[in-house]
Amino acid sequence: MDRVDRLYCFLRERLGLDDLQRLASKKRIPIHGSTHFYYFGGMALFLFMIQIVTGILLSLYYKPSPDQAFESVEAIVTEVDFGWLIRSAHSWSANLLIGVLFLHLLTTYLMRAYRRPREITWVTGVMLLGLFMAFGFSGYLLPWNELAFFATRVGTAIVGIVPVIGPQLLLLARGGEEVTGDTLARFYSLHVVVLPLLTFTLLGAHLFLVQKHGMSVPGREAGVHDDRAGSPSMPFVPDFLLRDMVGWYLALALLAALSALFPWELGTKADPFSSAPEGIQPEWYFLFMFQTLKLIPAYIGPFNGEVIGVLFFGMCGLVVLLTPFLDGGRNSRAVLNVLAAIAVAFFIVMTAWGWFSKADQQLWRIVLGALLTTIALFLLVPSTNPKTGARQMLYGFMALAVVVLLAAACWEVLA
Amino acid sequence: MVDGRQDGNRRAWLLRSLAGAISATVVAVFYPVACFLRPRRATVSGALEVVAPFKVNELPDASGNPFNFGGKPCLVVLTPEGTKRLASGARLRPDDVRAFDAVCTHLQCTVEYRADHDDIFCPCHDGVYDLNGRTVSGPPPRPLEMYKVTLRGAAGKEEVVVSRKS
Repeated sequence: MDRVDRLYCFLRERLGLDDLQRLASKKRIPIHGSTHFYYFGGMALFLFMIQIVTGILLSLYYKPSPDQAFESVEAIVTEVDFGWLIRSAHSWSANLLIGVLFLHLLTTYLMRAYRRPREITWVTGVMLLGLFMAFGFSGYLLPWNELAFFATRVGTAIVGIVPVIGPQLLLLARGGEEVTGDTLARFYSLHVVVLPLLTFTLLGAHLFLVQKHGMSVPGREAGVHDDRAGSPSMPFVPDFLLRDMVGWYLALALLAALSALFPWELGTKADPFSSAPEGIQPEWYFLFMFQTLKLIPAYIGPFNGEVIGVLFFGMCGLVVLLTPFLDGGRNSRAVLNVLAAIAVAFFIVMTAWGWFSKADQQLWRIVLGALLTTIALFLLVPSTNPKTGARQMLYGFMALAVVVLLAAACWEVLA
Repeated sequence: MVDGRQDGNRRAWLLRSLAGAISATVVAVFYPVACFLRPRRATVSGALEVVAPFKVNELPDASGNPFNFGGKPCLVVLTPEGTKRLASGARLRPDDVRAFDAVCTHLQCTVEYRADHDDIFCPCHDGVYDLNGRTVSGPPPRPLEMYKVTLRGAAGKEEVVVSRKS
């Protein structure tokens, strides 16, 4: 017995590694057409860990005060070795994380993995998505640049629109009537203390529930294999874990490429008394709300348009949160599916519109829309039956979207 | 022909490449992190010359003493002979005003001048230095570093210019 084996035996006896091993060997992953949807959760977890590490690193040099915040971030990207890379990785990873979470939500919905007994798993997941969007919003202000300052002003003003409690919420969010150094301190505390604590709690519950109930098998797949014992599956360790790690590698490679090739911009320092810069926009995952609020008229009948918009998005969030309890059979499921399709289409159209909001960017709007549509359709492929016409129709739509994408891109490049 | 041994070799080679690739990734990730943790280069280093924020006649209880000398506290001391000369209106000699790196050589507390004892005292662990910076008693292992002092300006109200070589 060599030294490594002896050390392993020493630890196994004292830490009860056998129990852990038994637990790990018990966990199995079902194999079916949609198995690769399971990778999104692991990828999100991996990106969250990157966020923790890079966030801790940035906090070593960052100073949360209006006099020093911008200068300290400037020092991070110019003076500290590899500071530009760490900051870029933090920003890019945040965006990738939100993107992966959207896909995780969408694919979980497609597989209807929220069915009994996994309702609470779904609810904690949607709440985690909300927390990560709050991370994004609070982190956006921290560099104290012009864009962040006005995005925070607009974002918190939207909170103020909420009927009855809006003005109080606004004061609470900003720590005053205006966006000041106190707002920065609040957002910093939220970003590095409050939200991480909430996230760890909810994430712990989410992961525990996933382990407890095991992986959900889509109803159609479960119907194919009637006897549960006979349905194909693979062990989590090492088969699925190694596949999961390939997903992490892909995420890491994409993150490294994006951070190195497109370092995150810092912009200019915020001046609370200058006018807002042109083309001001929030992060892409808030863009669909931003664009909708831009399009809503000031008054719809006797009601304030913005109030309607804010209430509408609040209702949408509530429906997403309560999806497992609204799915009560074939009819309600059909309604939910139609709503989900409309919501995804709405998200794609509004994001593309908001992204290229200038008149001469119409073609780019189509390119982005077609690209997002192709991705969304591609996600649908595993959840359709290859034997039915639905799969063919899906391929047809995808081909159409790709043709539109290529045509618009070619036209834009040639013109 | 693939026999069992060859197959085992191939598997071992694959596992080694996998381990190698993962190790390379770990190095590629941790090298920037380690560099990031290294402190920024100091903004002030080498030779330095600073004018103390007080005049000679304000010593020994001048406010702002010790003062910031390139990021470290610097203590300026007027010797008892200097105090006498200043009181009698005589011209100060170059040796009458001394400046020290005020960081105790024991565990880096900041030292103070005790006029009633004519010594430099570290309150953290009762280290005592004389007015040449040498250890008199207590734990400090080395004398305090002494800086060059130049006096300039009107007699009796000279400015204290402290300098050090690189």
